[in-house]
This record gives sequence, C-alpha cells and structure tokens, in this order.
Amino acid sequence: MQTFRSEDRIELDSAAAAQFMPMHLLLDGGGRVISLGPTLARVLQADAVPGARFEDLFEVRSPGGAVTIEQVLARGGNRFRLLPRKGLRIGLRGLGQRLPGSGRILLNLTFGIDLIKAVRALSLTDADFAATDLAMELLYMAEANAAVTHELRGLNLRLEGARMAAEEEAMTDSLTGLRNRRAADLVLERLCAARAGFGLLQMDLDYFKAVNDTLGHAAGDFVLGSVGRILREQLRAEDCAARVGGDEFVVILAGRIEPNMLQSIAERIIARISQPMEFEGQVCQVSASIGIVRSLDLAVPEPVQLLAAADRALYAAKHAGRGRAVLLVTRGE
Amino acid sequence: MRVSLFPETALGSDMDALLLRSLQSYVIDTFGGARWQKVCLGADLGVMSFEPMLRYEPGTADRIAEVAADVLGRPFDAIWEDVGIHLVTNPEREGIRRLLRFGGVTFADFLYSLEEMPGRARLAMPDLELPEVTLIDLGEDRFELRCQSHLRATQRVLVGLLTAMADDYGALCLIEAQADYRTSISILDRRHAAARRFDLALPGK
Repeated sequence: MQTFRSEDRIELDSAAAAQFMPMHLLLDGGGRVISLGPTLARVLQADAVPGARFEDLFEVRSPGGAVTIEQVLARGGNRFRLLPRKGLRIGLRGLGQRLPGSGRILLNLTFGIDLIKAVRALSLTDADFAATDLAMELLYMAEANAAVTHELRGLNLRLEGARMAAEEEAMTDSLTGLRNRRAADLVLERLCAARAGFGLLQMDLDYFKAVNDTLGHAAGDFVLGSVGRILREQLRAEDCAARVGGDEFVVILAGRIEPNMLQSIAERIIARISQPMEFEGQVCQVSASIGIVRSLDLAVPEPVQLLAAADRALYAAKHAGRGRAVLLVTRGE
Repeated sequence: MRVSLFPETALGSDMDALLLRSLQSYVIDTFGGARWQKVCLGADLGVMSFEPMLRYEPGTADRIAEVAADVLGRPFDAIWEDVGIHLVTNPEREGIRRLLRFGGVTFADFLYSLEEMPGRARLAMPDLELPEVTLIDLGEDRFELRCQSHLRATQRVLVGLLTAMADDYGALCLIEAQADYRTSISILDRRHAAARRFDLALPGK
C-alpha cells in the first residue's frame, strides 16, 4: 500500500463529507455500513442503517461476478455500477477505495443517466447535490433540449401546413375551384404509369365567347364558376376535373371504362351545363361538347396520345353539331 | 417595409426572432388574433407569423413594436415590459420560467446566473446568439445589470422578465431601466412572499 506524508492526508468530519459527497458510503473493513451521505440515504431509504452489509444493500452490475465490496474493489475499484436492492431501483455509478490505516472503505456514488428519474422520484432539490455537481446543468439541458425540440416540431408542422397549402394552390384553378392543367397532367401520368383503366373527357364550352362578348367578362367568369360547380356535383371524389384553358376542361374518371356509362356521364354534364344560368338578371346560355376516350383503347396509353385522341373525339362532337358527346374508339393505335 | 428572412445564413438575428415571437404571443394572448393581424397589416410585413427558430433582419422587432404601440395605444417600452412578464407568467410557456428558475435557489442566485444565460442557451442551440449580460454587485442587495443589444426592446423585456422572476421567487424588488443599457435592481425584501413552487424534474409521463 502506498504511504502518504501527513500533510497530504485530508481529514473530513462527517458534516464536511456530507457536503462534499452527499452520496458517499463509509464501510468498515468487513463491508458493513458505518455512515452515509444524506442523498444516498434518501435513495436507499429504510435499508440504510449502520451495520447493514454492502451486498444486502446493492446488486453489483459491474464488474461482472462481483458480489462483495472486496470483490468490487479487487476487480474494478475505480469504476463500478450498482443497483440498490430495495428503495429506489436506479442505476448508480461510483468509485471506491480502502482508506489507509483503519482499513475502512470509502465509496462515492452518483446517479448516472438515471438522474432525472431519481430527482423526480425523490423530489430532490439543489441542496441534495454538491455545489460542484453538474446535476443542475444536466437537468437544465434536458429541459432546454426538450423546449428546442418542441419548437422545432412546431416549426416543422407549420412549414408542412404552408407547403401543403402552397401545393394545393399550385394545383388549383382559382376561378372554378377545379384542378388546373398541371394537376390533370400529374393524374394522367400516374394512371398511365399504373396501366389503370380510366375514361378521359375533353370538354369545350359552346357559345361561351358569345356570353363573354355580349354580357362581359364578369358573366363569363360566372359561367365558368357554375361549370366548376356542376362538374364537382356530377363527379366522385376519386375523379379529377380540371380547367386546362379558357373554356376547356379535362375530366378523368378513374376506373370507368364502360362505353355506355362514360357516354351517359358526359351527356348528364352537357344537360346540366345547357340549362340557362342567370347572372345579375341576365340569362347566360351555353352548352358543351365532349370527346371521350378510354385508356384501354390505346395499346400503350400515354398522356399525350390520350389527350390527342380525346381532342379528335371532341372535334367530331363539335362537327356533329355541338352539345354532344362522342366516344372515339381507336383500337390498335 | 418588408421583412427579410435569413433562415440559413448568419446574417439574420436570433434575438429579433425570439422577441418577435414573444411579442406575437403576448399580443395574441392579451388582445386577440385580430389585433395582431392589424399590427402585421399596419407594418406591411407580408407575413402574419414569426418563427422563433428562424432569423430576421436585425432591428425588425423594434420596428414591429412601433406599429404595435400605435395599434394597441400603449407605449413601446410598456409593451416590451409586458412581453417580458408574459414570458414568465403565461402558463402555456411554463418552460421558460422553469429554465430561468434553474438559475438559482434565491433571486440573488438567479441574478448571478443571468451572466451564464448566453452559455446556457448555447447548450441547447450551439449557434444561438444572445447578447452578453454582466451583473455588478453594488452591495447591500443592490445590483446593476448591463446588457448591450442592437434592439431597444431587449432592455425592456429584461425589466419585465426580472420583475416577474422576482415575484416568482417571492422577493420584493425595485427594477428600473437606466441609460447606456444599464438596469438597476434593488432587493428590498428577499422573503417578501412565498416563492412559487419549483420541482427540479417535471412529473413523468
């Protein structure tokens, strides 16, 4: 054993030891409790009585295999981990040393990562820690981090909300509340890529220019808004109706491939649009022509070809006298 | 006037962002969302909400507060002192009061901890830039706090915050803003009233 000069020897009475090391444990040579610091006494609760044996108070987590304090010091006295057998079951970290002369053993313990749990369970205060302990800083940091994380999460949610609103806006035709060309293109691309069966309607308003020219742009806008409302009413949530030009609309009917069904939907839309609309006491009379294609009718459905085919069907509908719907069968194209 | 955002550069000011968000919370909680909208519209901001984690053009907080003073019919200084009090006393922002209470067991301890405030804040956000704080102990429970900031608002918020924290600790104090970024603090009675309860750890979930 190392020998010390007397001036290197530090003598502490129990009050000073409690202040410097509120979680110390002083054992006799045989590993029985002589005294302990006030904070450790709170952790061990009723178990912490003079004369109690170390191995009855603690389960040794490391060094592995050690049970008595003798074994702990022999295998890893500078760093060990303990778990109280009764009282508060939280991990304690510590170091220990046999004191020169008397053979007594001094252990000094600390809450490792279980600090917050211990503070909460025992309602510990500032006074339960040595002034040099970083416990306050750790508790502070845990709360400060939680606060920052909370703020960041809030920021992310707000940014995500703004992003979704912006995306919705970027996909929407503000006049009619329908989707816009960009949105319709995306839906078409997605359905074509998935090889899904669907119906595509290309619709032009008839006599719209006359309304615009005679009754003014406000009346024209009113008609477009009304058409938007009619399309929303006639379609299901999974369908997509978009205004893609001045008075041009595209409707994508997901899963609808039955010719009669597509024809009747188109005719129902035309019938509704053809009913007179009243704007500021004046009647706006328009109609609509619709060209219909089915994705199945193209060998390899591509958005561009589908739109071109629908356009041909629309041209045929207009040519046949307006206010009509024409389904184009282009098998083998 | 436009608000410039510098979310990814060092050009903007953290202090402006924190104060703007605090002002926003105070106005909305106290006067309602409609008044806050009026402030934003009056300031021609282009935004209706400020983010504490972003950065804004230095000086923005003072400029918005001038508009708020007009809209609310309350002096600039009084608004910022109220913001400081609101930060500590508003139950929805209990976190700020708790972080401040970690500063010490007594109000005097707390005052000393203010010098550590920028360092403490950097524990959680390493790039956060807060103004340096110096406390001078004049003896007999009189102190002088110096905090140099590019914002006029900072000193007034500190006055409000100190007033509310003195109350939290149960101390009776005289706190006054002085010239040259100085604030004088006199503790008249350290135990004037019972301190508000402070548990080191929040109850577990």
